[in-house]
Amino acid sequence: MPLLPDEILRRLSDRFGDKVRPGKSPGSGQVIALVAREHIRPILAHLRDDPELAFDFLVDVTAVDHLQLELPEMEGHRFAVVYILRSLRRNHIFEVKARVPEDDPVIPSVQDLWKSALWGEREAHDMYGIEFEGNPDMRRLLMPEDYPGFPLRKDYPLRGRGERDAFPQYRPPRISAGSGEAKETAP
Amino acid sequence: MGIEKIFGDSVITTSVQAVVNWARKNALWPMPFGTACCAIEMMATLSGRYDMSRFGAEVIRFSPRQSDLMIVSGRISIKMMSVLLKIWEQMPEPKWCISMGACASSGGVFDTYTLVQGVDQFLPVHVYIPGCPPRPESLLDALLKIREIVDGTVANAGVSPETVPEPVKGST
Repeated sequence: MPLLPDEILRRLSDRFGDKVRPGKSPGSGQVIALVAREHIRPILAHLRDDPELAFDFLVDVTAVDHLQLELPEMEGHRFAVVYILRSLRRNHIFEVKARVPEDDPVIPSVQDLWKSALWGEREAHDMYGIEFEGNPDMRRLLMPEDYPGFPLRKDYPLRGRGERDAFPQYRPPRISAGSGEAKETAP
Repeated sequence: MGIEKIFGDSVITTSVQAVVNWARKNALWPMPFGTACCAIEMMATLSGRYDMSRFGAEVIRFSPRQSDLMIVSGRISIKMMSVLLKIWEQMPEPKWCISMGACASSGGVFDTYTLVQGVDQFLPVHVYIPGCPPRPESLLDALLKIREIVDGTVANAGVSPETVPEPVKGST
């Protein structure tokens, strides 16, 4: 039988006590769980391994910047890492949010619990600059490797900071008149 | 000319360059650089209803080394710009470039951190097509304009790497 989010949250609270706080998704109003980043791995491992919960599929890992949306349950933390979980066996969904502070944006990776976290965490790192400790591949996913900013942070201007005009682009090799050899010009 | 007086209407005289231009303009081989919805319109232009082969440009080449007309159709991000430049460099000369649609010409509605605001900052564009996306008739019109440009080409005056413009810094 599928479980409703309220029931899943109640079971989490029974097991982990006040490490799990109730919250609401700002968009859909769905009940979610808010946790501190220190407890994210045991709680997610429980959600995966408990036979009644059985969340065998991590739909997405992403992040939210609460710079302009201050919620009391964020307790002054700027970032929230969001884990959207689905159980294909039990046919229910649940959402867990972990608070991450601005001055130390680090959170443990869950790529050993679900392989699909590998790219989700990479994208969240690319867009928000959050480090996922334990993820073996923290290269940028979408932006160019040498891009200086984190574009989905709310204090990042939409038009960028001039990167689109001043990026180091490929310059063609120029053929000098005498030697007939191609020379790479400096970028 | 004297030869025509002797042979009458059975002989015409011309320059080699005029013959070369005539051959080139009737057999443009496009390199499609389709990255967005403009590419769909480009496919429609190639298909039977609009039929780009009426103007001899139906031989789409996915190898830049066999093509002489670059059609940039779609958004070009910072990451894609170096790829586009490399492909442009691989095309043999003489070569021409169409910037198709608002995104390729000016960034379009994507006035954002990652999108190049016009490929003409990095490529020598011969014909711009407005529209979002342009209709196939517009692409055909651009092709006809390219044919006129090809027709007026003089020998050894193709696009060389030196004519690639320097990017306009801080223009946006």
